[in-house]
Amino acid sequence: MQMVCYNCGCNLSEHEFCTSCGADVSQYKKVMYISNRFYNDGLESAKVRDLSGAVTSLRQCLKFNKNNIEARNLLGLVYFETGEVVAALSEWVISQNIRPKKNIANDYIEMIQSNPARLDTINQTIKKYNQALKYCDMDSFDLAIIQLKKVLSLNEKFIRARQLLALLYINNEQWDEAKAQLIKCASIDTGNTTTMRYRMEVDEMLTPVDGNKNKRVRKKDDVEIVRFKSGNEDIIQPAVSRSGNGLGIILNLMLGVCIGIACAWFIIMPARVNIAAEDYETKIKAVNEQLDAKTAEIEDLKSQLDIAKKQLTDMQDQLSSYEGYDGSLSSLYSVIQAADSYLSDPEDIETVSDHLDAVDASQLGEDSQEAPVSLYNTLLALAGSELAQKFYDTGYEAYSSGDYEVAISDLTRAYQYDPTNGDALYYLAQAYNHSGDETHAIQMYRKVIDEFPDTEKSDKSQGYLEQLTGSNE
Amino acid sequence: MIDFDEELKKFHPSLEVEDVSEAIYNQDLTDMADLIVSMLKETKNSTAAAGSRKGVEAAQNVQG
Repeated sequence: MQMVCYNCGCNLSEHEFCTSCGADVSQYKKVMYISNRFYNDGLESAKVRDLSGAVTSLRQCLKFNKNNIEARNLLGLVYFETGEVVAALSEWVISQNIRPKKNIANDYIEMIQSNPARLDTINQTIKKYNQALKYCDMDSFDLAIIQLKKVLSLNEKFIRARQLLALLYINNEQWDEAKAQLIKCASIDTGNTTTMRYRMEVDEMLTPVDGNKNKRVRKKDDVEIVRFKSGNEDIIQPAVSRSGNGLGIILNLMLGVCIGIACAWFIIMPARVNIAAEDYETKIKAVNEQLDAKTAEIEDLKSQLDIAKKQLTDMQDQLSSYEGYDGSLSSLYSVIQAADSYLSDPEDIETVSDHLDAVDASQLGEDSQEAPVSLYNTLLALAGSELAQKFYDTGYEAYSSGDYEVAISDLTRAYQYDPTNGDALYYLAQAYNHSGDETHAIQMYRKVIDEFPDTEKSDKSQGYLEQLTGSNE
Repeated sequence: MIDFDEELKKFHPSLEVEDVSEAIYNQDLTDMADLIVSMLKETKNSTAAAGSRKGVEAAQNVQG
């Protein structure tokens, strides 16, 4: 490494003074030599993974010459290797400030800063380590062990965390676990005196006594152990006697049953429940699909029903039109029957009357020249007077006896068969009047007045009409 | 025999990443070279002062 003058910054030669400014550099050169010597020593230690020794030498080196960039960068690397990331960053930042350009520290810093996830992991590691220390202060050593295991899963080279974990294992007399941790510590940093001291303690505890290789000395308790090798692993297990008393066996059985029930409850039951739930879901899905199909079918049937209803309505319309036609046929048939009855027995007025009553004259047609109408009129001409007389007699008799309902019926038919029978019409009006049907009575009285004027019946009808209407018409 | 409590006291909380700047500022960077240079400069200054005093005395003697 080229030395420069502390006074003017020129390169120094083999002389004891600066060839540029003349300053005395003899003592300064000695300091630089010592610094370089420590650097070389630190470098040698680092090469054989004696990181603790390297840290000591490099820190000495920097005490003599703080501007020794290579020593500072190497110190940072050694810190980083032992998991001391913050210390490493400090050294690299100082190095970067002393020599901003052509400095490997720039790459180291960028390597950490360019990966935020890694930086976060580093920070988490440190926080967890500090938390573990707090747990130790609170005597929560189990929690501290858990926390330290997390720390080492994040950064397995964190020597201090591993040493603390080994110390906690030693405190718990978990010698083999402690030894495993210390072996790992030694593989990272071979010259760490703390690791060595702990290792000596552990080795002492695991040393066979009096040549009995299967027995180890225990510090606090006298629990016997059985130790044997399985491949490369050193297995230690408590030498528990298999022959217990009856109560112990029962307790163990009960414990086993409890564990079995717990396993069934926490492992098997959830799986069964899941399977059952999936089965139910499948069934529900199938039912839903069926429901959808049924719903679609119902919708289809509804539409078919609507169509059928519409068709029914059309058919009913058609039927009603046919019924009208059928009514005319019925009337025609009745006319024929009436004619047949009259021809077979002219005296049987009752039968003729029954058939003629069934005739609706309006259904026969409007043209009087047509055969049905003509036949009906002929029948009326032949039998109408007899029928009219017969109904008039029975109607008048009923009127006289006060049976106005029969009287109205018979007198109506009497007038129907013989429109010239003014008496039938008058007594029909009287029957309506006495039965209390004033509306029809008035109609009938007016009809009498109109159709049979200047008669006694007309005058009487006029009188009754005035009584009913309360005015002269 | 390891004293657990004493050993535990040797473990101190680690500095977190946020504390890097503080750690750098608090670091004493004075080295041996600084001390030597300082000493050399002080020696040089005192020598120069002594030389100037002798010169003044010699001049006063010559005048007297």
